[in-house]
Amino acid sequence: MHLLWEELRVAVPLIFHGNPYLLSVIWFTVKVAAVATVLAAAIGLPIGLTIGLGRFRGRRALQVCANASLGLPPVIVGLFLFLLFVPEGPLASLQLQNTKRAIYIAQTILALPYIVALTAAAIQGLPPGLLGQARTLGAGRRQLSTLALREARIGVMAAVIAALGSALAEVGAIVIVGGNLYGFDQTLASAALYDANAAHYAQAVAVGIVLIVLILILMCGLGVLQQSGGGIRMRFRTAA
Amino acid sequence: MTDSPSHGQVLLRCEHVSACRGEREVVRDANVELRAGELVALLGPNGAGKSTLLDALAGVIAPAHGRIERHGRVAVALQSPDLARRSVLANVTVALDWWGVPRPEREERAREALRTMGAEHLAQRPAASLSGGERRRVHIARSLAVRPDILMLDEPFAGLDPEARANLLEDAASALRSGTRATLVVVHDRAEAWALADRLLVLIDGLLVASGPPRELLEHPPSAVVARFLGFDGVLEEAGEVLLTRPPHVTLDPDGPLRARVTRAVPLEDGVRLELELELGRGRLYTVAQLPAPRVGDSVGVRIQGGARFSLSAAPAAGADSGAQATVASGVPQERSP
Repeated sequence: MHLLWEELRVAVPLIFHGNPYLLSVIWFTVKVAAVATVLAAAIGLPIGLTIGLGRFRGRRALQVCANASLGLPPVIVGLFLFLLFVPEGPLASLQLQNTKRAIYIAQTILALPYIVALTAAAIQGLPPGLLGQARTLGAGRRQLSTLALREARIGVMAAVIAALGSALAEVGAIVIVGGNLYGFDQTLASAALYDANAAHYAQAVAVGIVLIVLILILMCGLGVLQQSGGGIRMRFRTAA
Repeated sequence: MTDSPSHGQVLLRCEHVSACRGEREVVRDANVELRAGELVALLGPNGAGKSTLLDALAGVIAPAHGRIERHGRVAVALQSPDLARRSVLANVTVALDWWGVPRPEREERAREALRTMGAEHLAQRPAASLSGGERRRVHIARSLAVRPDILMLDEPFAGLDPEARANLLEDAASALRSGTRATLVVVHDRAEAWALADRLLVLIDGLLVASGPPRELLEHPPSAVVARFLGFDGVLEEAGEVLLTRPPHVTLDPDGPLRARVTRAVPLEDGVRLELELELGRGRLYTVAQLPAPRVGDSVGVRIQGGARFSLSAAPAAGADSGAQATVASGVPQERSP
């Protein structure tokens, strides 16, 4: 208890000191989380919609796969990407090993299952008559998708929140594909790991506090947006 | 469609259609014609296959066998009145968007449909705040607003309390009439069918067993199965024939030609429903008696005026419920021309 208190006492001033290293890590963390979440949403929403709305053979198998991939171990994802990106790997020509782009890719892959599985589940949870009625009144694929996303917006926002949480906090994959290079491609989570391994406990605690506060701020903001539905209503409004 | 169909024009014709739910064949060999200006009620007990037949006719599911011709666009109001979480007006205008109605026309048409269904005052209300009856009104208005050539409604009055149902039924009876549209309404309550329909289709156990004007079917049911379904619950056996009766056909009369014993008495709002066991095991009748009514165990005189007569081989035995299935299983669906 004494050690924790001591480290906290040293860590708190570090946060408010305006340490350039810490600021750059915070900035990169937010950037990675935003890019990974947006990419995962851009890729995952159409897949989630397809599974949620679809009436095709194999839909259940896809849903099972999407749900199962929620449990993807980040370290294993990182390992596979590392083996793809190394000079001897099949994607060596892309020169992604130990790059920031590799980190964006890893975090996107880890965020993707949340968007796909939770969006599909939210759409499947809609009253069956709602989408069926739209189909019988001539709604096309785009109109059905708009209706489904709009009506399932609370669940879709939950998917985005979960994806963002994953992109902010996951560390296993990025330390493998990015190398966790000091001051270059570190996120708050990987920086905390780096500092803890180097026995810089006060810095690790400072980074950890910043990460927790950042997660709480972003999650609370999205949570408020989810409950009010305001932002989403504006985006998906199609008629009076 | 640019030209409205003319009154009486055939808008939908299905021939020898069978339809399945999963692996099970639910509707067999159905032949139906719907004409412009006609309001047809599809009536049948729960599980008879009404919704499946409607889905097949509307194109929601593909028929397993047979041929369906549609001349014009079909709109279906599904059984569940699920509305989007937005205003009532937006729910109707978005349906017009799906249907392909140009944007400038949508609001006016939506308001007109809501007015027709007595729901214009709900236009700005969030759909989530509506009662069951209001939700049903908006649901029907949405289908009316698109102005289809063929309109199909699947149990539009289901799940309502008696008062809301009666109010909605009165409004719908006039709102659903159109000289240029064919309308098919699935109902399982006879009162709804009487209130709405020009023509009645009776579907029992997957077979269309009768078609005709409601009054005609009620006065001259084509088979014992149809008669039983239409409320002919009394049975009197005599000389190789069976007479099926509805309660209004049976009156208590001390000088009546038949004697019976009261075996059950159920109080109603406007009298007592009596079950009468005829002497010599000739059958069982039902009637509604005014107060003061005889009690269980009393012996009463009975007179019968009206009813439907069938040969004993095709009719159900006294008090038996299995007759319907026996006849349907052996019989050919009886269709009358409208």
